[in-house]
This record gives sequence, structure tokens and C-alpha cells, in this order.
Amino acid sequence: MSIIKVGEYEILTGLYYTKEHEWARMEGDHFKIGITDYAQKSLHEIVYVDLPEIGKTVAQMEPIGTVESVKSVSEIYSPLSGKIIKVNEELEESPELVNESPYDAGWIVIIKPQALEKELKTLMTSEQYAEFIRELLKSEEDSI
Amino acid sequence: MLVRKLRRTPLFIFHKEHGRLGEYAGFEMPLWYKSPLLEHMSVRNNVGIFDVSHMGRLLITGSEATFLLNRILTNNCARIKIMECQHAFFCNDLGGVIDDVLVFRLDKNVFFMVVNAVNREKDLVWIDKNKDGLDVEIKDLTDKVPMIAVQGPKAPQTLRKIFSSDINKLSHLQCSWFHHDGDKFLVSRTGYTGEDGFEIFIFKDCSEEDALNLWNAILEAGKEFKIEPCGLAARDTLRLEAGFCLYGNELDEETTPIEAGLNFGVKFDERDFIGKDVLLRQMKEGVSRTRVGLRMIGRGIPRKGMKILKENEEIGFVTSGTLSPILRTGIAMGYIPPKYASLGTKLNISIRGRLSEAEVVKFPFYDKNRYGRKRKTEI
Repeated sequence: MSIIKVGEYEILTGLYYTKEHEWARMEGDHFKIGITDYAQKSLHEIVYVDLPEIGKTVAQMEPIGTVESVKSVSEIYSPLSGKIIKVNEELEESPELVNESPYDAGWIVIIKPQALEKELKTLMTSEQYAEFIRELLKSEEDSI
Repeated sequence: MLVRKLRRTPLFIFHKEHGRLGEYAGFEMPLWYKSPLLEHMSVRNNVGIFDVSHMGRLLITGSEATFLLNRILTNNCARIKIMECQHAFFCNDLGGVIDDVLVFRLDKNVFFMVVNAVNREKDLVWIDKNKDGLDVEIKDLTDKVPMIAVQGPKAPQTLRKIFSSDINKLSHLQCSWFHHDGDKFLVSRTGYTGEDGFEIFIFKDCSEEDALNLWNAILEAGKEFKIEPCGLAARDTLRLEAGFCLYGNELDEETTPIEAGLNFGVKFDERDFIGKDVLLRQMKEGVSRTRVGLRMIGRGIPRKGMKILKENEEIGFVTSGTLSPILRTGIAMGYIPPKYASLGTKLNISIRGRLSEAEVVKFPFYDKNRYGRKRKTEI
């Protein structure tokens, strides 16, 4: 795995991405899910993560929880439909892990996918997401 | 396409270089510089400096200024001593809050009013509508008089280096004229954080450079006390932790000062002011809903608009909520019927469909012996 840098934002290769800035990484039969470096930097100081219940079944792009700063709340959308089999309980005590390590210690849930083949095609590859961020930064610049 | 140009304060150049910007009340303002939590704690523990030039500032003068203000304000401004200030409300006929304001009396017939940024234009219309024929002149000084707040237990030590040790002689809600670098400033011992502190008004046709000079001089003077520039995010969490209302959240035209528990800003005397009948009736007969503080027992951060429940019955809603940086738990303000409002009552807040337990607590949310302007601990 290597890192693609777009501006100040890091994108990990080998992951799948959503337009809402979640990532999904295959780990055996399961997928680990989290939010991207761009998302955590936009949210800034994360003080609370609302995690879903284990065993819950979710549809693709359904909200599974929130990441919150003192002032704002952002939904976390599931990149894939399936069953939540594990949540990162460390985040209850240490939500700042999402800021410190968005692709590793700051993961959010592990999901057992239900319609993987169909849905994987709808997600972006690392290269596509990098391009997506590049465009996003460009449009942000244009709007100033 | 509608392009709305955001207004900027004279300190914008500093905010742009050091802060994360966002829109508030039509102004492009700093939300934070380094971090909302760090800025919040710097004000509780040391000292912080805020650009609050987005607030509206009006000058009301004339031989009938007192008469006019006493007709449209809930508090009696004839009782304000010269170089002091008081909290008051503009209310409509039904007692609903048009704005909550701070009224300074600079001379017998000279009043200086700090109003909410979101309400400034509405206030001007309201004052003008009620002024018919009276000898009163109203000037909007918002763009001419920058306003800087210096807040926290080390604020007096910081500002005495800029002005003089006379700064310590000011009591809460008093103001005085001070000089620095040949310029004249109005300094009041007021604020919106719960901490000791001051608000400074640069009273002259002030250039961007003058405002920046003062700002930088205060930052330099406060260095030894670990001063931090603070943005609107910290301003909001600080006022919420102190239990202060924010217009648009706790206050609006459908809410009265009595419902909000702000009776100190309403004076029932021989005067007849707009909204008096309704407010007086609420004082005598009670209110159907009242503002309370809620501290989370369960998980989650309450937010504006969330429902408050007793068992499964909906009894009210949250008007502001955040994670309290001091308590490290969710806190909120909201309106509920008085019968549920006694301290210690356990209620539920519906956080995205999940009920989480909260307890009615008193304001401020923090321990008054350890934080706030009346703290007992040595600094």
C-alpha cells in the first residue's frame, strides 16, 4: 500500500472510496470502513463518534453513525450494504484517533458485505478518488 | 445567480492568515485558529482574544433618548449610571424577543448599544418605527467602531499592560475611557464567556491598521499569560457552558425573556414598555415552558432541534447543544414545561432516533468555584 498525496490530503492505494469521503478495505471476507484524511481534516477536531449497534444490517450509503466536532455533526455513510459485525470501541474513549489515524487506528466499523460484486463497481478506486479530490479542490479555489 | 458579498471586519487580514473562516450573520469570520477546544480552554484557564466586530453597535443620543428607550426596552435605562451598562430586551406586543442588547450610558443623553449581528437591521427599523417625532438621533457605528473582547482570568493582567492598572478598578458592567498610542478606547468589564474579561471599542474613525495594531499589541502583552486568538466556535461553546442565551437559538420573537429565565433584564415599574402586559402576566401566572440546562448522563451530544422527552412523551426541544470541553460530556439548553424543570429531573433526549438520558442542571454548567468570573481558586 502506498500513499497518493493531493494537496495536504493523503489517499491510500488499494482501498475503495465514496463521494462522501468514506473508505472501505477488504480484510478476508469482510470490509473495514472509515473516513478519509480529507474528511477528518475538514471536520477538524473530532470529539465524539456515534457508532452503530453490532448486528445491524445497513443498505449501501445508509448512515451508520456520526463524527462530531464541538460545532458540527457529519453522518458516516456505509460504502457497502451488509451486516455490522464489529465497531471500533476505542473511539468511545478516544474519538481523536479518527484525526490522528483515519486509515488505521481510527477505523469505524467492520461490515460483512451482502452485495459486494454489484456494489464494488459503484465505489471509486484510490486513483479515481484522488482525481475526485483534485477536482474538489479546484472548484473550491474557483469559488473564492 | 445571487451573489452575496460577505462583510469583513477590520481584522480580516489576521483571520485570513491565521484562521479557518466561515460565514456568520453575513460576515466572513474566523471559526477557529488553532482549535476550538484549545481556544475554549485558554479562556477558562488563561486569556483569549476575540474579534467581535460583527456585533451591531448603535449610538442613540438626544434629549428624549431615555424616554424613547424606556418605551421600547424592558429594562429601565434611566437607572443606568453614567459609564455603566445593563442588559435589556426589545420585545414585541406579545412579549417575544426582537433582540437582546447591552445598553451603555456614556452621558446623560448618550446611549451606546451593542446588539446581535443578525438583528442589527431589524433593530434599526424597530427603533425608527417607535421614535415618531422624538428628539433622538440614531447612528449605526458598526463599521466605524471595531470591537475586541479579551476574556479569561488573565485578562486583567494582560490589559493593564496595554492601558493602565486602572483597568482593575472597573467593576462588572462598568466602562471607562482609556488611551493607548494616542488613541481613545471605551473599555467595559463585560463579556459572553462566563469569565472575567473586557470588551474594547475603538472609538474613532478607525483604520484597519489601528484595529490590527491594538489586536497585535494585546497578543504581545498576553504572550506571557499564554493568550490565544479565539474564533466563533469557542465563543459559542464558552457561552453555552456559561448558560448564556444566543439569539436565534434560545431567543426569538416567539419566546419571552420570562420564559428564558432572564427576568434580570426586565424591570416592572411605573413605566409602560412594549410587551409589558404579557411579561407581567407571565410573572404572575407562570409560563407554559421554561429554559433549562441539561447535562447528558447517557451517550451522545445533544444538538439544536432534538426532542426532549419524559418517559415517551415529547415535552420540548433542544435549542443549543455541544460537548462541554470542561465537563467532557454533552450539555444542552432547551425549553420544557416548568413541572419537569426542577433540578435533578431525569429526561431523555432523542439523538438520531435513540433515547439518551439527561438531567436538569443549573447554570452555569461548570463548577462556579473553579471556573468563571466568581471563581474562588487563586490564579
